[in-house]
Amino acid sequence: MRKTKLAVALVAVSTLALSGCQGVFGGSDKSGSDGPITLGMAIPMSGSSSAIGPYMKNGAQLAVDEINAKGGVLGRKLKLNVQDGACDPKTASTAANKLVAAGVTMSIGGYCSSATLPTLSVFNKANIPMIIPAANSADLVSQHLPNVFLINGTGVQQAQSAVTWLTKQQAKRVALVDDSTSYSTDITKRTKADIAKAGGSMKTVLHESVNAGESDYSSNVHDIVSARPDFVYWTGYYQEGGLIIRQLRQAGYKGKVMVADGSVDGKLISVAGQSTAQGVYATMTETPDTMPGAGDWIASYKKKFGAEPGPYSPQSYDAVRVAAKAMKDAKSTDGKKIEAALMKIDGFPLFSGKLKFTADHTLTEGGFVILEVKGAKFTLADDLKN
Amino acid sequence: MTQIIWNGLFVGSFYALVALGYSMVYGIMKLLNFAHGDLYMLGAFIGFALLTSFSGFTATLSLVALLVVLLLSMVGTGLAGVAIERIAYRPLRSAPRLSLLITAVGASFALEYGMRIIAGPNPQVYPVRLGGSSVHVLGARIGVAQLVLIGVAIALMVTLNAMVMRSRQGRAMRAIALDPVAARLMGVDVNRVIAQAFFIGSALAGAAGVMAGSYYGSINFLMGFIIGLKAFTAAVIGGIGSFKGAMLGGVVLGLLESFGTHFLGGQWRDVFAFAFLILFLTVRPTGLLGERVTERV
Repeated sequence: MRKTKLAVALVAVSTLALSGCQGVFGGSDKSGSDGPITLGMAIPMSGSSSAIGPYMKNGAQLAVDEINAKGGVLGRKLKLNVQDGACDPKTASTAANKLVAAGVTMSIGGYCSSATLPTLSVFNKANIPMIIPAANSADLVSQHLPNVFLINGTGVQQAQSAVTWLTKQQAKRVALVDDSTSYSTDITKRTKADIAKAGGSMKTVLHESVNAGESDYSSNVHDIVSARPDFVYWTGYYQEGGLIIRQLRQAGYKGKVMVADGSVDGKLISVAGQSTAQGVYATMTETPDTMPGAGDWIASYKKKFGAEPGPYSPQSYDAVRVAAKAMKDAKSTDGKKIEAALMKIDGFPLFSGKLKFTADHTLTEGGFVILEVKGAKFTLADDLKN
Repeated sequence: MTQIIWNGLFVGSFYALVALGYSMVYGIMKLLNFAHGDLYMLGAFIGFALLTSFSGFTATLSLVALLVVLLLSMVGTGLAGVAIERIAYRPLRSAPRLSLLITAVGASFALEYGMRIIAGPNPQVYPVRLGGSSVHVLGARIGVAQLVLIGVAIALMVTLNAMVMRSRQGRAMRAIALDPVAARLMGVDVNRVIAQAFFIGSALAGAAGVMAGSYYGSINFLMGFIIGLKAFTAAVIGGIGSFKGAMLGGVVLGLLESFGTHFLGGQWRDVFAFAFLILFLTVRPTGLLGERVTERV
């Protein structure tokens, strides 16, 4: 009796497994000819950075809908497949494997660099080109994988822009504060090196790391204030950034504060308090708010999702458009052909400027600008073009 | 130096307030209520919801309104604590203790991700902010708002201590902590008393949540996780199950973190705090004020 049950179970399992495989193969066959072209997106929908996922998903969805309304790509509709990467390496690799199994043609996700890293080889093995809209650690391109393209400036370019601005502002004593993540420490380390290279009277007086996710940073703030900096550069995300700015001011810090792109969000200003946040600078890739003529885009985003676009909504929107352009140019959904087409793109208009990839598959122009908090918004302070 | 001590004392008073509930529930039921930190989060969100819905008159009488909101949120989180006990813990009271512990973890996740569905994953900003002036004492900068918050925390702790030591319910709680079976034989309604303990403990956590929200200004659905761990550490350092121990443990942990950050750097803060937890568990598992438990055979 027990044996028959076991046999039945075995048969059932193997049939399931077989049909599962067939499903996968059938799926990829289908995506090779007709039916929708699927774009995969592994982004944090839960976990510490879960706030970002929906922004990116909406941004991408907006582009997908616009392209579909104009007839899609290669006569086929686009479809978005979003998997939760949770800003966690393990979860993100599972998500990437799910996307590969679902037969996606391209990947347009990636927010946390540490979580995006392990997905690179998964997509590479499956011959799936990746356009990474947000993650920007230099580690992502250092392996020189043919399928990996970044459409966001990297930490190298961000640190350079920061130091350019610090020099312009005649900063003398700079304090660098990060949140111990790969993205954030990458920027502080490079900024520190660039400050040392710049020489002159500017020096780094403190390099401090904090733990993300807490509310009281008064001990860190005490150390920062004791180092008597005239410029504090925070490279982590906006939630801690807002708290740190507020607590710095409460502790009597009078100097200037600058934040990196992970902190550029209206929430930074509301967490810090509007009056406290006035005059805070930020290094940021160009966004719709700072670009003349992007009002229409924000309006259509708001109309569709009933909320303001957030960080990396425009970059995700751009990632889909770049993906569509590459497939159109390649006239194919084959990974290798798409990669070749991506490298040939020259002057495609992104929010951050004209797109052309370097040999490293990063942007030719980093497109970093300096923003300043005025009122309840980040406004353009300097485009660093001269 | 005074500034470092002050920073530690201020953070410590929040830890102490949350640790009290932890310790109370542990003392009575021998249960590590992992959902306790999330009741702190729940309190912050209930306070947020109340403040945003009455934003019309909070602008004028912000401090009075804040106290009313504090009390209402305490009642809200207290009831939530009772509900969790009724739904998740009571059916398992005679089950092995491990099942209770696992249920507590489940309750914690249910609260966190339930709140994420209701309030969204983004941090919310409190409509009322305590800021204001600060005074200088021995070179330290002390905010008036901080003093008010510490005052409220001390008042809550003293009230609780008096209640447990003097009142009938307090005596019943101590009796159950000592021996639940004997307490029942003496006519104590065990379920009722445990529900009361959950109410009070959760209300204190909720109060800490509202206070943290109005002082720091930013709340999110995961804010209870770290403070839950810290409160647990504080309770262990002070001696879990003991009231005075929880208060002392909170302050000690706050000071340890403050000095640890100063001497080792901010990234070492949690390492330092939890290394102390391990140290205490190895060297003095009963904590600073814990009583020695004799196992009778």
